[in-house]
Amino acid sequence: MLSSRLIGRTAVRSCFQKSTMPTLVGALPLRRTYATETDQKDLVVIGGGVAGYVAAIKAAQEGMKVTCIEKRGTLGGTCLNVGCIPSKSLLNNSHLYHQILHDTKQRGIEVGDVKLNLAQLMKAKDTSVNGLTKGVEFLFKKNGVEYIKGTGTFEDEHTVKVQLNDGGEASFVGKNILIATGSEATPFPGLEIDEKRVVSSTGAIALEKVPETLAVIGGGIIGLEMASVWSRLGSKVTVVEYLDAIGGPGMDTEIAKSIQKILKKQGLNFKTQTKVLSGDVSGDKVKLNIDAAKGGKEETIEADVVLVAIGRRPFTGGLGLEKVGVELDERGRVIIDQEYRTKIPHIRCVGDVTFGPMLAHKAEEEGVAVAEYITKGYGHVNYGCIPSVMYTFPEVAWVGQSEQDLKKNGIKYRVGTFPFSANSRAKTNLDTDGMVKMLADPETDRLLGVHIIGPNAGEMIAEGTLALEYGASSEDIARTCHAHPTLAEAFKEAAMATYSKPIHM
Amino acid sequence: MASLATASRLSARLVRRTLPRDASLRGFRTSAAALAAQNFTMPALSPTMTEGNISAWRVKEGDKFAAGDVLLEIETDKATMDVEAQEDGILMKIMQGDGAKQVQVGSRIAVIAEEGDDISSLEIPPEENATKGRDEAAKPAETSSPNPETQPESPVPATAEKSTKAKSKAAKQTRPLLPSVSHLLKENGIDESAVADMTPTGPHNRLLKGDVLAYLGKVKPEVPAAISERFNHQSNLDLSNIKVKVSVAEPKDTKIPEKTEKSQEKPEPEDAVVALPVSLEAVIGVQQRVSQTLGTFLPLSTFIARATELANDELPLPAGYAPSADELFNQVLGLDKVHTSSRGRYMPQVSALPPASLLAPRPAPRQADIIDILAAPARKAAAAAPKSRSQLAPGTSSGVNVFSLTVPKPEEKRARVFLERVKLVLENDPGRLVL
Repeated sequence: MLSSRLIGRTAVRSCFQKSTMPTLVGALPLRRTYATETDQKDLVVIGGGVAGYVAAIKAAQEGMKVTCIEKRGTLGGTCLNVGCIPSKSLLNNSHLYHQILHDTKQRGIEVGDVKLNLAQLMKAKDTSVNGLTKGVEFLFKKNGVEYIKGTGTFEDEHTVKVQLNDGGEASFVGKNILIATGSEATPFPGLEIDEKRVVSSTGAIALEKVPETLAVIGGGIIGLEMASVWSRLGSKVTVVEYLDAIGGPGMDTEIAKSIQKILKKQGLNFKTQTKVLSGDVSGDKVKLNIDAAKGGKEETIEADVVLVAIGRRPFTGGLGLEKVGVELDERGRVIIDQEYRTKIPHIRCVGDVTFGPMLAHKAEEEGVAVAEYITKGYGHVNYGCIPSVMYTFPEVAWVGQSEQDLKKNGIKYRVGTFPFSANSRAKTNLDTDGMVKMLADPETDRLLGVHIIGPNAGEMIAEGTLALEYGASSEDIARTCHAHPTLAEAFKEAAMATYSKPIHM
Repeated sequence: MASLATASRLSARLVRRTLPRDASLRGFRTSAAALAAQNFTMPALSPTMTEGNISAWRVKEGDKFAAGDVLLEIETDKATMDVEAQEDGILMKIMQGDGAKQVQVGSRIAVIAEEGDDISSLEIPPEENATKGRDEAAKPAETSSPNPETQPESPVPATAEKSTKAKSKAAKQTRPLLPSVSHLLKENGIDESAVADMTPTGPHNRLLKGDVLAYLGKVKPEVPAAISERFNHQSNLDLSNIKVKVSVAEPKDTKIPEKTEKSQEKPEPEDAVVALPVSLEAVIGVQQRVSQTLGTFLPLSTFIARATELANDELPLPAGYAPSADELFNQVLGLDKVHTSSRGRYMPQVSALPPASLLAPRPAPRQADIIDILAAPARKAAAAAPKSRSQLAPGTSSGVNVFSLTVPKPEEKRARVFLERVKLVLENDPGRLVL
């Protein structure tokens, strides 16, 4: 199919090469080509994001003939292109900038003229992104996954029709079909996202200049990370959150309060329990009418840029699910069973577009599990043991249950905490904000949850996740040797605090 | 699905758990014989299986079997599967015979003993996981009395206690004991062999601190299992209370595109007509020269079509142009340079006489389809009378023609740029179009 298209193209090209009009080359609109793909695939994956590409590679490794359809120009989906990866580049580099500007002097490093080159900062980000997306493409080649650039639509239960990005269309027949179309930013009613002044997370990682003022609607992880980036680069940032705590659902309330204090010290302005009533983009600045949820008075805030970060919603647009009878739930999620099967057993679905937390690592686990269900009949994801990380400074990370979860379910627990201000490495780094908090069963000491605020919390949570996965007790952690001097010692001390007493406090 | 079912005559290897595995351990015990018989429970052959039918036992009561032998066939709603023995042993008694229907997973279906055991002297252990209301009769008479007093030093009573409540029989801990577990053992002076009598509740039968505490009587025996149950529950994706989007919700879905269509349509009524006089003299000159020198005749429409192609390249974006989500995505990635221009799809209307008023509304030309652009020259050429020397397309004059376009208001400037380009090419350098 592809080869026939290529022949068509070269023919056009050669006939034009006779003419001396380079601008006309390829301009003749011979784009409507039709191609058919008759041989059946073992698996057709719609979506080349984290869930899709991982499933495609895993299935190919298990010996299946796999085709992966991606409508965007690159693989990796939201995470690699406009999510986790680019935002981490910005967070890391903006932190460096901020530190040189405000922090290195007290450490004995005096830097002369510190200037921000935003274009270069963005270029560094793009380099990281490009390297990684190309990496995925390489993995496809290596594992023999057929990569189709185009938009897939269900033709029937086994056929996916693809509008190719280069023009023309093709059909792919699969014994199994996997829906992995991911999610998109939930729009805020009344504020149209133009990615220039009213931005989603996608636009927030690509602003052309540092806005003087930035308003963030939604104090969840995405909102706080982007608020941190632009605040460090010089914006005056206001975060408006409807709930009484920041951090989104899942974050332990005590931790959320604590990180709010720390971020406030860094210059972020918070308006919690505040509702955004409406927005107005007609003026020079975007205006937001806000109202304290608890009977406060209405006020207006102005900002050069407004970031809408109120969550993400499943994306199934244009898939033609109704044609094959795949059902969605009220919130637009594709309905599946425990083995990721939709109503039609050979059409499965994983990642953000279905149930569970919208996290790249959850999608990745599901990608592997669904490939194993298809090839081996059994796969596994432990949903009780999926860590979450917020990459502010200090970072916040957690796994397992939060204190409010346990309270709500009437489960008894014991808490142990240890502050980084009592940790030797944190002291030497002069980064002593934060703590490790552990929750364990009061009788058996089995670990129920770990919550960390601190430098490197995102790396440290791996230990908590491992402990939880293995059913460890806090004593098991406490009796495991941790190197000195490391931040991880705080983890150990928190475990000691949970089952008996910490040494260094 | 049927093919899958037949293809998946999986060999389930779940027997292992219930088989006594530590022969050496048994050697230490004087009362080992009493422990040798093991309940063999209905295995779960898939994560969703809750019950199954027993098609047939392949091993008779009293027969020996070796690891890998098929013990029985189980039929579920999905498939019929063989259950293989993981280790050697003897089938002591079958509790659920051939054809037993809807046997719950985890309920006892047989009693097995280890190879070399004297079956006649073995006690049949009580059902461990009494399924409610089921096979009450099959329950052996001698249920050991619960033993409230745990004496850590003597494993026998502890075992007896365990067997009344334990869910899964002690499995030998093949992995290193958790630090807390080995610490507790040492602290309480318990021999490590006693581990076999404790009930592991951790993931993959790992013995946890809580299990030792339960064995020691420091926590209530059911506590560790209850916690494990909770963890098991959490490990699954919560698919309860799913509310299927009903058709009532669907109009909402269809409304959204409608709205966007409307908002797109709104500015459309305000069409603008852009017109420009273009002289075709230069073109006709070239046409004649080509005809004389090369002997090939090129219709005017070819010139116009090719000029159109050229002029459509990189036109300025319409005023108020809003990029699509995908375009934005690609821009963010730097895949597309930020667009200041895009390719147009204009096809000018050509007429010989200037219309009464240049701005008079004309019948809106349909948006040029790419096929039409392709097909147009040929059709026009065929329609034109070959007699005519300059092969004019109908409605064109050899002198000044008016090229016009009807476009949505925001595209006015874009259309003008397009027409100016057409004019430039046709009037100044038409030769370039055909060389």
